[in-house]
Amino acid sequence: MNPPLNDIAAQWITLLATLMLVLQLFMVVQKELTTNIRLFALQSFLLATVAALVASTARAWHVFFVAALIAGGKVIFLPWFLQRLVRQVQISLESKPLLNAPLAMLFCGGLVLLGYVAARPFASVEQPLNNILGVAIGQVLAGLFMMINRRKAITQVLALLAAENGIFLAAISLTTYGMPLVVELGIFFDLFIAVMVLGILVYRIRETFSTIDVGRLNQLKG
Amino acid sequence: MKLDIIGLLVQTALLLLLAPLVTGLIRNWKAKLQNRRGPRVWQPYFDLVKCLRKDMVISEHASWIFSATPYVLFTTAVLAGLMVPMLNTHAPLSLFGGALALVGLLALGRFFLALAGLDPASAFGGMGSSREMTLSAIAEPALMLSIFTVAITAGSTNLSHIVQSVEGTTWKLLNPAHGLALAALFIVLLAETGRIPVDNPATHLELTMIHEAMVLEFSGRHLAFIEWSASLKQLVLMTLLVNIFFPIGLALEWSPAALAIALAVFVLKLLLLSAAVVLVETTNAKLRLFRVPDLLSAAFVLAALALLSMFVFKPS
Repeated sequence: MNPPLNDIAAQWITLLATLMLVLQLFMVVQKELTTNIRLFALQSFLLATVAALVASTARAWHVFFVAALIAGGKVIFLPWFLQRLVRQVQISLESKPLLNAPLAMLFCGGLVLLGYVAARPFASVEQPLNNILGVAIGQVLAGLFMMINRRKAITQVLALLAAENGIFLAAISLTTYGMPLVVELGIFFDLFIAVMVLGILVYRIRETFSTIDVGRLNQLKG
Repeated sequence: MKLDIIGLLVQTALLLLLAPLVTGLIRNWKAKLQNRRGPRVWQPYFDLVKCLRKDMVISEHASWIFSATPYVLFTTAVLAGLMVPMLNTHAPLSLFGGALALVGLLALGRFFLALAGLDPASAFGGMGSSREMTLSAIAEPALMLSIFTVAITAGSTNLSHIVQSVEGTTWKLLNPAHGLALAALFIVLLAETGRIPVDNPATHLELTMIHEAMVLEFSGRHLAFIEWSASLKQLVLMTLLVNIFFPIGLALEWSPAALAIALAVFVLKLLLLSAAVVLVETTNAKLRLFRVPDLLSAAFVLAALALLSMFVFKPS
């Protein structure tokens, strides 16, 4: 068990985590692909800030490395890569999500509530950061919901990344102050490869069907 | 708790004088940001004076509601403003009600404005009224929920108590629930003051106008009062936002020094909020009317989550 953070830092981290959740909810209702990517970059930036805060106040130095990875990978590289992809496939608007925006928002509200309820047994006064678990679970669930709700392959990739942000948030800010460095590196590497492959896949889907609506993939059935 | 006459007078004067200035400032900054020169900051005062001197044209089909509306709107806006602590931690009319009375008064004004839009039976007015009512049905719950979030921290819906609770131990500046509620209240502020993602305050010439459609039939003195109360409502909501979420620098007693500091801090907070509004207005396009409920429902969900977070993050 690591020592709890001091009060001010804990408050900042909780606030930033909540802002990440707010951005996640905005992403769920945002249809514009480029805006979505920018929101994701902003969310990752907040995550990097959380990591840096945890690292400096808990003296968990390997978390600094994670913060740098997030800043380099998820704030700068992946958004740039996805923006380029959007320009290449020339599709900028998400059309016809499964649920319309108000419904999706309400649904996500319910999911976040579910996360809060699930994390309730872990809430404690001595470790205020444990309360973030609820926010993180809510964010993961909202990300997964976004993946189901959207039809465009690019937004699904983005939703995967956002859900993954939620997992990182939980890992960093809970009392363990991050996973072992090897695990984090592994996850990061996996992610990069996944996004690269998905990027190529999106491009190929677009070439074949002249759309990136994944619903059309059903036509591949013989 | 006695009625504080001086406080009442000071705050009334401040409300009446500051409201057009804020409107003018936002217009001016917005123009500057769009590379235009824009009207001067005090232009709304000239507009008001001019409108007050002009004759009125009233449709012969209009009933008494039409003529009464500007005054009802103006009175409710001023009364609502007097319930929000502005410079002092004690609002002049806090004896008469808190957050609920404030929302109720604003709703009363809106009710009369919607009626007045329908009253002269012009096509635009009815459209504006129906839109205003539709949107306010979603915006109002969000507004109340986000005020309640802060009210739970203070343990009272009286706005003065909420502001005073900053000295208490339960208050945390960086409370995450307050972050959510702030985001919700900001969206509501944009909607209620008819700012750009929801309504365009700069023009009469759009078919999707909301507020401007309702007041299309008003002229002369009536128009002056309507414009003035629109500015007042904007100032009241902005004051509410800055003072219940950031109750810093408010004067605890009526001493000139404390009041001067409070005024300076208050103006600074208003300037920052206006800058945020201007930025949002300039960087966003107006939403299609049918997309506006999406935005407002987002505000509603945020506010509801804020209220729930209150219990999650509560040290229990």
